[in-house]
Parts: sequence; C-alpha cells; structure tokens
Amino acid sequence: MRNVWGKILKGYSFALYVFLYAPILVMVVFSFNDSKLLAVWRGFSLRWYDTLIEDPTVWRAIYNSVWVALLTAVISMVLGTMTAFVMIRYSFRGKTILDSSLYFPVVIPEITEALSLLLFYVFTGIPLGAFTVVIGHVAFAISYATIVIRARLVGFDRSVEEAAKSLGANELRTFFHVTLPLILPGVIAGGLLAFTVSYDDFIKTAFTAGPGFQTLPLRIYAMASRGGVSPQLNALATITLVVSLGLALARLRLSKP
Amino acid sequence: MIDILRQFRLEPTLEYYFEFFDSIAPLVFGRSLLMAFGTTVACLLLGYPMSYYIAVKSGRRRETLMLLVIIPFWVSFLLRTYALMTILDVNGIVNVVLLSLGLISQPLSLMYNTQAVLLGMIYNYLPFMILPLYASMEKLDKALLEAAGSLGAGPARAFLHVTLPMTRSGIGAGSILVFVPAVGEFIIPQLLGGTESFMIGNLIWTLFLKTRNLWFGSAVSIILIALVVLMVALYMKYVTKGEEMAI
Repeated sequence: MRNVWGKILKGYSFALYVFLYAPILVMVVFSFNDSKLLAVWRGFSLRWYDTLIEDPTVWRAIYNSVWVALLTAVISMVLGTMTAFVMIRYSFRGKTILDSSLYFPVVIPEITEALSLLLFYVFTGIPLGAFTVVIGHVAFAISYATIVIRARLVGFDRSVEEAAKSLGANELRTFFHVTLPLILPGVIAGGLLAFTVSYDDFIKTAFTAGPGFQTLPLRIYAMASRGGVSPQLNALATITLVVSLGLALARLRLSKP
Repeated sequence: MIDILRQFRLEPTLEYYFEFFDSIAPLVFGRSLLMAFGTTVACLLLGYPMSYYIAVKSGRRRETLMLLVIIPFWVSFLLRTYALMTILDVNGIVNVVLLSLGLISQPLSLMYNTQAVLLGMIYNYLPFMILPLYASMEKLDKALLEAAGSLGAGPARAFLHVTLPMTRSGIGAGSILVFVPAVGEFIIPQLLGGTESFMIGNLIWTLFLKTRNLWFGSAVSIILIALVVLMVALYMKYVTKGEEMAI
C-alpha cells in the first residue's frame, strides 16, 4: 500500500515538472523550426534568428535593454554598497524606517510601484524617455542590490580592518584596499541581480518609457499582444531566456564561496 | 502629457473614491480577488504533495529536484506567459496534437478566457508556493510521524494532526507570496485573457496609459494597496497567528 502511494506521488510530481517545463521547451524547440507553422516540426533551421538580425527595431530594443541594465547595475552597486554599509555599521534616527522601506519595492504590487513612478514624473514635469526608465529601474534595483550586499557584510570579520588602520591606513584606504576586495563577490552578485531585474522588467518600463523608447520586454510584449505566437517571437524570447539563465548561473556561482 | 501637467493642482477631494463605487471597479476588484484566491488554493493543493515528495528525498536527489523548482524563478513572467501561449494558441501544440489524433475536428479556442488566465497564474505562481512549503517540510521531524503511527494514528490522522499543523508557517508564507502579487497581476490577464477576465492590473493600466485618468487611477491603486495590506494583516492574525513566516 505504501509503495503504491509512493509511486502515485512520484508520477504526480513528475507530471507537475512537465507542466512547469513543457511550455518553455516547446517555445525554444520551435524557434528552430524550418516552417511558418507553429507546432509542426519541419526540420532544424536558424531562419527565424536571421529575420531577427535583419530587424532594426529588435537591435534597438536589445541595445536599449543592455545599456539600461548596465547603467542600473553600476549605479545600484555603488549606492547599494553605501546603503548596506550605513545599515550595518552605523545607527541613527529613523534607521528602522529606512531599513524596512528597503523591502518595500520587493513586496508591494509591481503595478502600483510603476504608476507611482509615472505620477512622480508627471508631477515634477520630467519628460518621459530613457532617462526616466533608468531612474525608475535604479529606484527598485537598489533594494535588491542592498539586500544581497548586506548579507555579505553581516559575516564580515572587522579585525582585518582594524589591522589595516593600526598599520596607518586611513578610512578610505582601508575601504578600497581591504574591505572592498573582501566583499567584492557580494557587490558583484548585487550588481548582477540589479542587472537582471532591470533587464527583465516590463511593467515599470512600460509606465515610464514614454512613446519613443523600447526595451526587449516591451518589444516582446508588443509582438505577443498584437500578433500572438510567431516563430520570430519564439526566437527573440529564446535569446532573452538564454541571457536571463546565464545571469542566474553567474549569480549562483558567486553565492557559493 | 503637458496638458495633464497643467491640470495638476492640489485640491483635496474624495470625488474619485466616490466615483469608484459607481464604476466597474468594484466588479473588477471582486474578480481579481476571486482569481487570486483561486490561484492560491490551486497552487497550495498542487504544490503541497510535490513539496512533500521533494522534502522526503535526501542528498543530491533532493538538491536537483529543488533546483528544478527554482529555475523557473529565473525566467520572467512575460517570457513564461508567452511560452504558455505557444501551447494554448489556436495553432499551438495542444491543438495540433489533438487534431492529428483525430480527437477533435476543429481547433479548440483555449486562450482569451478566464480559464486560460487561471492556468497562466497557476503556472507562473506555483514555484512561489512550493519554495516556502518545502522549507517548512524540510524541518519536519519524521520521528513525530512515526510516533503518531506507533500510537495508533492512521496516515490520514497523522497528516491532519501532525504534518499539517507543523507546516502551517509554510502554508501561510506561500499563500501570501502567491496571493499578494496575483491580485495586482497584469501581464497574464492581458496576454491570455479576454474582456471577461479584466483584472485590477488591467484597469490601472488602462486608466494610466490609455484613458489618462490619473486621478481615478490613483484612487483605484490606493484602494488596491489598502486591500493588500488588510489581507496580509488578517492572514497574519488569524492563520499564522503571529508566528514568524518561514521562507
């Protein structure tokens, strides 16, 4: 009896894994299909990738996504390290409020965050475009970066800093020559996470980009909501997927000491 | 955008909150809550046995099975929802297979309805439920189950009185992780749904980006935030009873 239940549980879990992975596998496999038909296999081909290469709007979207994510990552790494440092090393009035507000963007519904950004830009009169997208991305990527970097700082052995200081190094020198190299994997992991959340972001970008600026997720959304499923879109989604998974693997490697 | 800016004066009014009740918003809110609730319950029922299956395994096997749950987290909702469209499309794999087997003579219309949205939500949110459930089961002391068994409790009794109460923190955390973002979901109903599955996220999107009614849109979003906070507070008070949530 016990064995039967075990087998049922195993079969059930296997079915659920298939449910989780089948759509992604179908999308990836049929991006290499040599046919306009969506789900009839006609042999391996890269023709849909070729059509993407010839499409300037796709290149534009990739270019925009990458530089926005890079800039977001760099700014978040710098500000995130500073924030994490202040949170760990110093105590001041209002620290608890500031600390819990860090988790705010991680918890509240994404769409309310997106419209708050839009309202802020409308209220302050900042014209929408690439600039407002970057500011918006940094505003929430900082939270993710800080949380990751702080986790690294918690277990930091401060005796090495004291050793550097007693050998005559000032605060700044100690930070750049002792502390930073030691927490660097955490800082890079924070930056990678900031890059990922920026690169994958759809809703906040859609609210803050204005009419002329398009990133990869916006391009994919526009194609999916207008034309539905297509082999070109399978190819574009597969490229985006590969980058996302690559970034995640890099983070995984960094988190293991 | 400029003319909107010119209208941006600060004049306190509750007009837009009254407007809320005269609009389609209450209906859309009710529907979103129902969808989020359905998604949470479905994820819990589907995810619980699977989490258990992973938690009772050991060593490398368990790690691999868990990694397979985590990988979908690395793929954005937009991509995963689109991937689901390749399955459900009129020319998608389900229809092609069913047609070629002769089980149907006309392709089925699987998308642009409420069921498709629900399926999309379950598909996207299932890992959010499994992760905390697994975390609470991993800590479960199996000796307690054996003790219950040797004291004469059957598997059903042992489950109801030992396993279920001890995984309550995981159930609570998983439910919140699924319910809160599901209420405000936008991409899934937008890509997979039709007019009858229009949710709060779609309403806010339309108000802000299509009709440009920022005032009413803001009122709707404030009500959404208040609702989410209330739900989480109630949940923590009555279900997890102030226990710390395990993640």
